[in-house]
Amino acid sequence: MKFAIALFSAAHAPSSRRALLFAQAALAGGHQIVRLFFYQDGVFNASDAVVTPQDELDLPKQWRAFISEKQLDGVVCIAAALRRGVLNEEEARRYQRNAASVSAPWELSGLGQLHDAVQDADRLICFGGA
Amino acid sequence: MSTLHVLSHSPFGDDRLSSCLRLIGSADALLLCGDAVYALQPDSAPFFALQDRTIKVFVLDEDAQARAIDIPDWAEAVDYPAFVELSIHHDKVNSWL
Repeated sequence: MKFAIALFSAAHAPSSRRALLFAQAALAGGHQIVRLFFYQDGVFNASDAVVTPQDELDLPKQWRAFISEKQLDGVVCIAAALRRGVLNEEEARRYQRNAASVSAPWELSGLGQLHDAVQDADRLICFGGA
Repeated sequence: MSTLHVLSHSPFGDDRLSSCLRLIGSADALLLCGDAVYALQPDSAPFFALQDRTIKVFVLDEDAQARAIDIPDWAEAVDYPAFVELSIHHDKVNSWL
């Protein structure tokens, strides 16, 4: 079974943790994740600039490790990211900002990548809100 | 065609649960996670609203445990592997974001 997973909430929201645990359980169950798409406040999960308190779960770090280890396609919505100041080197250069905070394995791309993933996947699962 | 409805907001803070119950189909199922598990607070309006319906109600076990919510016999506790299986068992998953 092929899953597309979309995340709409920031790293400190409980739903972001649920998205990660669902993704891990899907792979552990022998399923495939065609793409993880980080939209709206979900883009903050891809930011290297997030500093999590020591006694809390460091979700941006866990996403990075998970995506790298499983070689998944982690796509961050570029429009949502730009308006929230979550830039990679290329966008920071383009807009003359000294604030790049997204790097590999993350990739900034358009909403079309979510549409494309949904076409390819058997199920789209969205996480967000509370 | 069946849908798994996923709720994560407390039923005491907004109308998501009542909106969901208004349109949920007989073949559909409901998964309560996060603060939505407060719908199982005994003797509360959402508790009775769910109890009176014949739809299948699932609850993310760790979220219920974290909030000290007991799971009634008409609801079923699930873990993440079971959540994945539920999403496959139904044709679509609708998250009430």
